[in-house]
Amino acid sequence: MSLGQEGLLLLWGILVGLDLVSVPQAMIARPLVSGVVAGAILGDVGTGLRLGVVFELLQHDILHLGAVRYPEYGPATVAGVSVAHAAAGALGIGLGAVVGLLTGLLGGVSLNAVRRLNTRAVQRASDALEAGEVAALMRVHVTSLARDAVRAMLVTAVGLALAAGVRHFLVGTLSVRGAMVVAAAATGVAIAAGTSGTLRLAGRGATLGWFAAGLVGGAAGAWLR
Amino acid sequence: MAPVKPPLGRTLLRLFTIQSSWNYERMQGVGFGVAEEPLLRDLGRAGDSAAYRGALARGAHFFNAHPYLCGLAVGAAARAEHDGIPPAQVERLRTALCGPLGSLGDRLVWAGWLPLTSGLALAAVALGLGWWAVVGFLALYNAGHVALRWWALRAGWARGTRVAEALRQPFLRRAGAVVEPGMALAMGAALPLAAAYLGGPFPGWARMTVGIVAALGLLLLRWRRLGLTGLRLGLGAVAAALVVGWAWR
Repeated sequence: MSLGQEGLLLLWGILVGLDLVSVPQAMIARPLVSGVVAGAILGDVGTGLRLGVVFELLQHDILHLGAVRYPEYGPATVAGVSVAHAAAGALGIGLGAVVGLLTGLLGGVSLNAVRRLNTRAVQRASDALEAGEVAALMRVHVTSLARDAVRAMLVTAVGLALAAGVRHFLVGTLSVRGAMVVAAAATGVAIAAGTSGTLRLAGRGATLGWFAAGLVGGAAGAWLR
Repeated sequence: MAPVKPPLGRTLLRLFTIQSSWNYERMQGVGFGVAEEPLLRDLGRAGDSAAYRGALARGAHFFNAHPYLCGLAVGAAARAEHDGIPPAQVERLRTALCGPLGSLGDRLVWAGWLPLTSGLALAAVALGLGWWAVVGFLALYNAGHVALRWWALRAGWARGTRVAEALRQPFLRRAGAVVEPGMALAMGAALPLAAAYLGGPFPGWARMTVGIVAALGLLLLRWRRLGLTGLRLGLGAVAAALVVGWAWR
């Protein structure tokens, strides 16, 4: 991977990290989108799609209701794709999932830290905000946005560093069969998380019937393919 | 007196950043004030800078709702300020809108439109549409997203303190009635298709492992007393798999 590609992945990770909460919430932070673009940057859209599907399913376990804390799978998928691309096939998906899950955990922790820093900034500017000073209002808002950009950059950078470490130390030590066990475990958990999240949304009423109808249709489609 | 041509476009752009300054004290309050500010400028231009500053200070108070529907409250609060509604009533209006806008948005978007379009995208990727599925997801999702933001802002500004009428619009009920089963159908179809897509490159024993892990994982995630999340389960499973992978050469 070239330095230019690393730089583009970092830039993409910042945009993805900003999209999750700050701006514009257009869902480029969804793993399917962040994964496919990361794959395109590396010239490997297929791996980006595959790992994007794994993390998109994991994302369905998360409900963004209220002010809940959740892992951040956008930059995580970017970092995951960077390692999955370097190791072909199942080996790549397994190691990509390892890096992605750890980066997702870090992303969630960092979101909480930024919100605490924002709270302190608001408390410091409280008098000016109560006086209706537009400059203070804009300053608090823009610095918070910048804080989130720095957070997204750090999370992506740590994820990419983790990916580089895994490429150096793990790729050679796992056999193909061993890597396949890791990939199968990650895939299984992703399917479980996607199903569990959807069941939680569907509840017990008529919506559950629609879910069952979809399952039957999807299973038939998969069998016919 | 409300401006004849309010700067709704500028407010809409700022609404896209409403959560940038999210914090544990005022939550979306600061972002709310930033988004409302263009609509309040006329108060200051009319020579009443105290009214402008007072309205801006109120705008930055605590607020929390679904980010796509905040425009409804921003528009309504700004209109109320122009209509000379007493400050305490504007504050009550904002407070009263938090719950309904939060629950409506969560139900309509986070639990409906987003998983519906994501499910369609997952199914399309699994059926071989590749990155076109992702482009389609972004286009479809954001058509609904931007339309909802724009409708909310316009409806809030048009109605002011009568904003509750907007929340009783029949199309919102119809949207909920379509989106909820649509989400379940799309995700139901996407799950087996995605499982087949992901399991395709694996040999038989690995596919069986995927199935066992998925079944056990689903049981553990549905067992509420464990309080397990997908992330924790994923980290535990890949850690165990790494140990097995090293041992099984």
